[in-house]
Amino acid sequence: MTVLGAEWTKFSSIRATMTLSLATVAASAALGFLFSNASARQYATATPQERLDFAPLDLGMRGLFVVQLLVAALGVLVASSEYGSGTMRASVAAVGGRGRLLAAKAGMTVLTALPVSVAGVWLMYVAGQTTLAAGGAPYVMPGDPAALRLLLLGPLVFTSLALFGLALGFLLRGTAPAVNVSTAFLLLPILSTASPAPVRDFISAYWPNMAAFQTVSGTSELPVWVGSGILVGFVAVMLIVAYVQFKNRDA
Amino acid sequence: MIQLNGMTKRHGEVLAVDDLTFTVRPGLVTGFLGPNGAGKSTTMRMILGLDLPTSGTATVNGRLHQDLPHPLREVGSLLEAQAVHPRRTARKHLLYLAQTNDLPPARVDEVLDLVGLTDAADRPAGVFSLGMSQRLGIAAALLGDPPVLLLDEPVNGLDPEGVLWIRTLIRGLAAEGRTVLVSSHLMSEMALTADRLVVIGKGRLIAEAAIGEFTGNDGAVLVRTPESASFARRLELSGAHVRAGRDGELVVTGMTAPDMGRLAAAEGVPLFELTPRRTSLEEAFMELTRDSVEYGAAR
Ligand SMILES: Nc1ncnc2c1ncn2[C@@H]1O[C@H](COP(=O)(O)OP(=O)(O)O)[C@@H](O)[C@H]1O
Ligand SMILES: [Mg+2]
Repeated sequence: MTVLGAEWTKFSSIRATMTLSLATVAASAALGFLFSNASARQYATATPQERLDFAPLDLGMRGLFVVQLLVAALGVLVASSEYGSGTMRASVAAVGGRGRLLAAKAGMTVLTALPVSVAGVWLMYVAGQTTLAAGGAPYVMPGDPAALRLLLLGPLVFTSLALFGLALGFLLRGTAPAVNVSTAFLLLPILSTASPAPVRDFISAYWPNMAAFQTVSGTSELPVWVGSGILVGFVAVMLIVAYVQFKNRDA
Repeated sequence: MIQLNGMTKRHGEVLAVDDLTFTVRPGLVTGFLGPNGAGKSTTMRMILGLDLPTSGTATVNGRLHQDLPHPLREVGSLLEAQAVHPRRTARKHLLYLAQTNDLPPARVDEVLDLVGLTDAADRPAGVFSLGMSQRLGIAAALLGDPPVLLLDEPVNGLDPEGVLWIRTLIRGLAAEGRTVLVSSHLMSEMALTADRLVVIGKGRLIAEAAIGEFTGNDGAVLVRTPESASFARRLELSGAHVRAGRDGELVVTGMTAPDMGRLAAAEGVPLFELTPRRTSLEEAFMELTRDSVEYGAAR
């Protein structure tokens, strides 16, 4: 507990981490508005068939692809800002057991990423759907099962991605490399749309962040627990690898 | 009390620390001396559980660092590379360290006051001068009021005032009964602060003794006489070993000064000087580390 308190002191005394948290929430709202605004305009001039295919929830939440990068970066910073400034040695010397330090950082990541994710997902939903409604396009009420699932499970998916970022921060020991790898990894499903169909389909169904997003938003054939399970299992493995490496390398 | 037992650290081909075994006792300043690259910093990092030894163990008060529930209360450290986030204030830096060890926040104010940083406490550490950074490092080391302190080259780069402050502080900490290990590559610095010395070179233990034992009489006697050639021959006939010194004096071993004085009197040789030689610490260090200096001369 005391080590977790120390993590909060570290996190809250650096502007970068606080700024990134607020920026993530602000970006969620802004992207919800921008994507929905564009979609509402398209809807106004759409053909009847296009209007039938109009998916208000997906369109309004398209910004999540950007927001996931910010939330993962938040997790990266919890570890990498210590490597960047050289305080990791001071922290290890002060805490002693490395497992305790990593556990405290994981706890810290959850405690910051979860509220940020809740605020981000919910704001994006509200901004997106109200914008669609105002533009005369169909929208989804929060009582809708798909919307409800997204609002409840979406923040958990994002928090898992923050833990993925944390693991990368420990493994790569620097903000820039860890953010680069995390971004490339999370965007790979989008970049892979140009690849042959079997590869593309496989990635879009099973790539950890896609599997979770698709099942949570109801656009996958996989059950929610499988899609979420792929992500959770993947993040758990990443954290274990990060722990083993952290324990067995010079600090 | 710090105990090292066969500590070894290998970085690929480089054997940074090679089978070090020694004990650092309480109530004394133990100087940890060696030329640059000798392995001092690596050894200290291993004691702190930062670098993992290839083999061997180091214990602080009988326990491995990783097993200490509140490490800062057992061992304080000032490492070579200052580790403070440049945007974090001195106070927050100390506060988070205090929190990790369940120390009361009031302790932060105490150590800030102790090192004279109270007025700068709320400034980001990135704007600190070297002297201030070093004071902050000392404050962090003293935070848990630890019985053991490790200070890695604490006077490096400091102005004379800062050097004096550190020296006084180090002496005071040992006088309070703490175990103090201070590294340096400068023998002259150690001569001023240390009670005992552990000398290493190329990662190996070269000597470990009270500082007096390094500066003692090495058995040689300096003799100055206008008749050096004939007196040298006479001394050698009496079984002494004679070398020429730097300024024409004779450096004699194997015979005591009184015996030499009597011999000179008996032979009617005028003596201008007859001095048992005392080696300086600097000379002793050079002699000890001659074969183990890694990068040319020890600076
Ligand atoms: N992380 C590392 N990787 C490779 N070599 C290292 C590393 N750390 C130290 N060394 C080497 O180990 C030796 C001892 O270094 P160090 O402990 O810093 O010596 P000192 O503090 O006495 O100057 C040096 O030869 C140094 O180059
Ligand atoms: Mg060093």
